[in-house]
Amino acid sequence: MPKTTSSVPDARPEQKRLPASRRSRKTWLTAVLFIAPAFLAYAAFVLVPLCMSLYYSFLRWDGIGQARFHGLTNYITVLTDPDLLQIIGNAFQLVLYFTVIPVGLGLAVASAIRGQMNGRFGMATRTILFLPQVIPLVAAGIAWSWMFASTGLINQALKSVGLSSWVKGWLGDFVWALPAVGVICAWVLLGLCTMLLVTGITKIDASLYEAARLDGARPWHEFRYITLPGLRQEIGVCITVTVIAALASFDIVYISTQGGPGITTTVPGLEIYRLAFAHRQVGLASALAIVLMVLVLLSIAPVQWFTRDKK
Amino acid sequence: MAGLTLSALHKSYGKVDVIKGVDLTIENGEFVVFVGPSGCGKSTLLRMIAGLEDITSGELYIGDQLCNDVEPRDRSIAMVFQSYALYPHMTVYDNVGFVLKLAKTPKDIRDQKIREAARILKMEHLLDRKPGQLSGGQRQRVAIGRAIVRQPEVFLFDEPLSNLDAALRVDTRMEIAKLHATLGSTMIYVTHDQVEAMTLADKIVVLDAGVVQQVGSPIELYQRPANLFVAGFIGSPKMNFVEVTVEAIESDALVVSSKDVARLRVPARVTGVNVNALLTLGIRPHDLQPHDAGAILGRVSLVERLGNETIVNLELASGAPWLAVLDGDQPLEIGQNLSLAADPTKAILFDKDGLSLLGSA
Amino acid sequence: MNSSSANTLIARGLIVLLMVITLLPFLSMLSAALAPQGSYPNGLQWPSDPQWSNFARAFEVAKMDQLLFSSMLIVLGVVPISVLVATMGGYGLAKLTSDKYKWLYLVFVFGLTLPFEAVITPLYYEVRAMGLLNTRFAIILPLIGLYMPFGVYWMRAHFLNVPQDLSEAAQIDGATRWTEFWHVQVPLARPAIMSLTILLFLWTWNQFLLPVVLVQDPMQRTMAGALGAFQGQWGTDIPLLCAGSLLILTPTVVLFLIFQRQFVAALMQGAVKG
Repeated sequence: MPKTTSSVPDARPEQKRLPASRRSRKTWLTAVLFIAPAFLAYAAFVLVPLCMSLYYSFLRWDGIGQARFHGLTNYITVLTDPDLLQIIGNAFQLVLYFTVIPVGLGLAVASAIRGQMNGRFGMATRTILFLPQVIPLVAAGIAWSWMFASTGLINQALKSVGLSSWVKGWLGDFVWALPAVGVICAWVLLGLCTMLLVTGITKIDASLYEAARLDGARPWHEFRYITLPGLRQEIGVCITVTVIAALASFDIVYISTQGGPGITTTVPGLEIYRLAFAHRQVGLASALAIVLMVLVLLSIAPVQWFTRDKK
Repeated sequence: MAGLTLSALHKSYGKVDVIKGVDLTIENGEFVVFVGPSGCGKSTLLRMIAGLEDITSGELYIGDQLCNDVEPRDRSIAMVFQSYALYPHMTVYDNVGFVLKLAKTPKDIRDQKIREAARILKMEHLLDRKPGQLSGGQRQRVAIGRAIVRQPEVFLFDEPLSNLDAALRVDTRMEIAKLHATLGSTMIYVTHDQVEAMTLADKIVVLDAGVVQQVGSPIELYQRPANLFVAGFIGSPKMNFVEVTVEAIESDALVVSSKDVARLRVPARVTGVNVNALLTLGIRPHDLQPHDAGAILGRVSLVERLGNETIVNLELASGAPWLAVLDGDQPLEIGQNLSLAADPTKAILFDKDGLSLLGSA
Repeated sequence: MNSSSANTLIARGLIVLLMVITLLPFLSMLSAALAPQGSYPNGLQWPSDPQWSNFARAFEVAKMDQLLFSSMLIVLGVVPISVLVATMGGYGLAKLTSDKYKWLYLVFVFGLTLPFEAVITPLYYEVRAMGLLNTRFAIILPLIGLYMPFGVYWMRAHFLNVPQDLSEAAQIDGATRWTEFWHVQVPLARPAIMSLTILLFLWTWNQFLLPVVLVQDPMQRTMAGALGAFQGQWGTDIPLLCAGSLLILTPTVVLFLIFQRQFVAALMQGAVKG
């Protein structure tokens, strides 16, 4: 008779169950030890300050003297004060320049050059388009301040084509300062977005386009039904990166306009800095900081949801 | 050198039981193969022995040592992974020697052992290469070499041949068999391929759904399967099954019949069997021969003529698909009726729980 | 001419246009930087007598040598430690795959979108309480913390792709987690570590907000921070300002040109994962 074992599971009474094995606890402990330094650094310089920001935001405090509990007053101010609302609005206007121009132009270029980024030409393109990503934003700000200056290249070009009436100090103009700042930001992000989209488009199977053409698709159809869906993830990445950059912008505005003229180009980042360190309104600055953080999260969430969901 | 004792081993992930109480003794120097369909728990069981999975309950002894809570590195085992798991950034030399380096073996002894392993596996010329530059078969050797230098008490193989092409698989299988003969260590080998199991094993452990179905030598499992699962799993092509009714009970045999099978007297254990009981009859394709007055009648639905043998797909009257492997070339036509005779001593009956009714050997 | 080659021409034209737009500000700065001292140069006009000496003067005025040194100290203080700690953290998080510990991962991911401005005010008081205000440590320590979300996230993504088998083989070979980390995981992670190093280097070198808020003395700042001060001081002297700016952005551009391939790869992956 061959040796057999009953095929009825759990026929015998439960053997002594070991308490959550010593070894798996040890695995856990090792992992925690590996994470600990990173977590400590993160906690000390991000999580703790964030909690303090939250705490300050309920205070009326000049940073030196006695702090007083201020309830939600700071938040009410942030959400009702016309100047602060305009400042937040400025940030969202900048989103248009940060996001729409680079992503739109990037898409146009990417779908036009589909897969032609090889060889020396591609190499040169990559190098040049990435330059703005490598230099400090401050340097971009200075370069473009000079471009927009009254004797700068923009005005020079306008004059040379006979549009002398358009010549102005762009960054000092109440109407044109914000768009001018937007152009600087678009310049910084254009290369990155273009390259991401170009790389993304090379990953789309070329035979899809051929199949579509056999099915009678026009260029617009190809773009609408193949390129766009195929690039969904890359577009999501571009939008995420640019929206965060727009809402959290500081460097370029600080250098090129200091938020002026008036508050036409002031963004939340700059206003937090001013409120906290120039006007000594730490509570209000913190409330604005928390609002900014929430706005970023709220703006990013739908993008992430749309572009990652169906993967 | 050491044997292993597994007693009442359980493994569960949360509420899901993967291994449901395994008792097993493995003798020192034995070549044991765990075989079963994918998801049967054989790899999990191996990984529990290796220490890569925690044991939920039960006890694992390697030699005399209770190993439930012993780190893999202290179990004196070596393992060959399905993916080989060679360190891609190290040369073959360093891959094989890594275990010795970690054990702080002096450099000259290390070198000697690595070269010895390379010599056994005939891979001296590969020592300076990196895994990326090796073929599948060569990687396999390195993985085995890495196990050999450890001089473990127990070798563990996790489906080591499944990434090789068919020809190489046969060669490597033989080499592993030779290695076992040379080293004489205990080896535990996991596979889903019953041919590997049959050719390599001293002892096969058939697993299904986390439960050991049968333990025995290859021939024992082939000739005397304990239940329907083992009967169907061991042997290629698969055993044919058909439902039959008991017509008469003799002292050491049952007479059965059905729509498909004319009266057939099959030697069997008769205790607890009643007349008219429903049983399952199993006959291996190789045990069928054409015969004008055969007990089994079917219609030919496909013929594969290989020259030395002919594989016939049949459809019985009840619709059950059967397979017969006939000797030599048999010119048969699709659609014709064929009657087959079976050697009743090789037929096996199973009761309604699927347990075999084989008499004592 | 068929339509596809017309398309190609349009595409090439578009790209060349993009490149010109990208390069114009640099050229405009260069032309201004070469104009005679104290003059009011025009947008883009090659000066009849290029004043290359402006660069020497800007180098001197901006105390470039000290700035370079200061930036390097900060980079050396931030990048190696951040990369090491992030690599360890990423490895640890990749090992904690069970849902029970998902929150820990989410806490790190949360930091990915956090604008630095959201914590800059408390950081000021924290750093002041530590007595580090106006020292390079005021930049170094917070930056290490601020880089953790990205660094850990980045390395975790890498370690999740390393086959589990390798880790198990190392365990069976007798490696402790620590030796496995150093002998198996880190060598395999070299490309990911390289990219992370490049990104953190760039971000540190170009960091502006922290130096402006936390360090008064430009000589203790990063290059970018010092450039802000330089503009404040010499903003009206266009040739000098442009020369100084070009000098200050030279180091990263040179490094970029040398390690172009790695930089491009790092920046693209960085965006995708970030």
